[in-house]
Amino acid sequence: MSTRVVITGLGVVSPIGIGVPQFWKAALEGRSGISAIPSFDPFPLEGYRSRIAGRIVDFSPDQYLPAGQGDRVDRYAQFALVAAKEALADADFKMDREDPHRVGVIVGAGMGGMVMGEREITQLYEQKRPHRVHPNFIPVITLNSASGIVAMAYGAKGPNLTISTACSSSAHALGQAMHAIRAGTADAVIVVGADASITPLVFAGFCSLRALSTKYNDAPEKASRPFDRGRDGFVMGEGAGALILESLAHAKKRKARIYAEVAGYAATSEAHHMVIPREDGEEVATTMRLALKDAGVTPAQVDYINAHATSTTVGDAVEVKAIRLVFKSRADKLAVNATKSLVGHTLGAAGSLAGVVSALTLTSGQVHPTLNLDDPDPACALAGLSKEQQTRKAKVALINAFGFGSNNAAVVLKAVAS
Amino acid sequence: MATTTDVSNKIVQALADYLKRDAASIEPTHHLREDLGLDSMAVIEMLYRIEEVFNLQIPDQDLVGLTTVGHVIDYVQGRVAPAPAKSAAKTPAKPPAKTATKKPAAKPSTKSKKA
Repeated sequence: MSTRVVITGLGVVSPIGIGVPQFWKAALEGRSGISAIPSFDPFPLEGYRSRIAGRIVDFSPDQYLPAGQGDRVDRYAQFALVAAKEALADADFKMDREDPHRVGVIVGAGMGGMVMGEREITQLYEQKRPHRVHPNFIPVITLNSASGIVAMAYGAKGPNLTISTACSSSAHALGQAMHAIRAGTADAVIVVGADASITPLVFAGFCSLRALSTKYNDAPEKASRPFDRGRDGFVMGEGAGALILESLAHAKKRKARIYAEVAGYAATSEAHHMVIPREDGEEVATTMRLALKDAGVTPAQVDYINAHATSTTVGDAVEVKAIRLVFKSRADKLAVNATKSLVGHTLGAAGSLAGVVSALTLTSGQVHPTLNLDDPDPACALAGLSKEQQTRKAKVALINAFGFGSNNAAVVLKAVAS
Repeated sequence: MATTTDVSNKIVQALADYLKRDAASIEPTHHLREDLGLDSMAVIEMLYRIEEVFNLQIPDQDLVGLTTVGHVIDYVQGRVAPAPAKSAAKTPAKPPAKTATKKPAAKPSTKSKKA
């Protein structure tokens, strides 16, 4: 039997709370983190079809990090540092008691350092002064700046990787961390998902792609409404999630508290379309089946799904179609929710936040509400979806994550008997 | 034209801002690496600020001589001083570098095309 991998620490930076206790309380209460974007100065807000987002307001890295630690990295990497710090403390994980080469860092990030990226590009093209491009531009926008800075902050010298598969990035980070521990190349991995690119150019790009909600600019909290008939696109969010993964033996040896087991993972490509999923749901279904098989569980054993559910018309319907293909009659017995209804779509952070939520759901038996499910769309109805908080003693959780580039991931978590 | 004191004050202030410490605690004799703790990347970032303050481009070959606060002050003073002082033979590659600065600097006038 292969090495078992468990989650021993959690960390969150989100539009509904920085810190797991704050986040989880707000999630169970069904608080929305979506608000109006006050300005994209100097660009007129009218130029943006969507004017709402799941923003983290008044974030100051120095409030959470040792002075200067976040100075040379972009906002997404600052989020990553804050989430990783919380997760390590939560796990009571002490680097000085570890072999540093046995502790890895795997980060999922979709966009990376776009705050500085956009600023420098703008200045270069406006001012035409190449010598004024900031010396830190390259280190900051290089997509592994977050995995690098997290390793440096804690002296984690094991495998250090960044996975960028758009919106499924950190679900793969979880899965690849599980693989690294199973393969014996690390005892523990700090897994982080992070993105912070509610920036003038990236946001305009998503607007132009017609991917974002535009009907609810005057009622931001109503905009992220997965599975509801009134949904009209996703709401962009920002944030980070972090999870400490370690082998069960390692966790037991240091008497760590265990949230859940990371029991299975699948990575596939639809090899179909850059941004549109296959409408029959077959590839998504295959991904879920492969992850369940890897975890050694049958569909009948699954209790809870943290759905990808971005609140797009096509995406949500395809996901439910796929869930029905895999789970048949059990589909309506599953508890299902959509974390993006609370915080929007945090892109590279989404999979890690789904991991945090699923771990908390398994340990607490509480399923956070899916906001704005006022008029469930018959095309993607599931009996276990609710705009109210649910109680479910779940033993097996499935996380779905799909990314642009025809990318699919699924991760299976199992409750660990206490 | 900037006086020596102006240059010195501006540089010390730029350093103080970068290092987040009191300008009064920074001495010309301070070694950038040994005393102020700047690694090679930090020296580059700090010089980037100084280039902006004095509207300079510092060529790579001039970096090696800039190891103390005093070196930086002298160097910048030499670069921003009126024409006669420019003969300070320390940096022969300077004049071409400076002309190179001018060209891109002149261009922003054409930027209406972009807007």
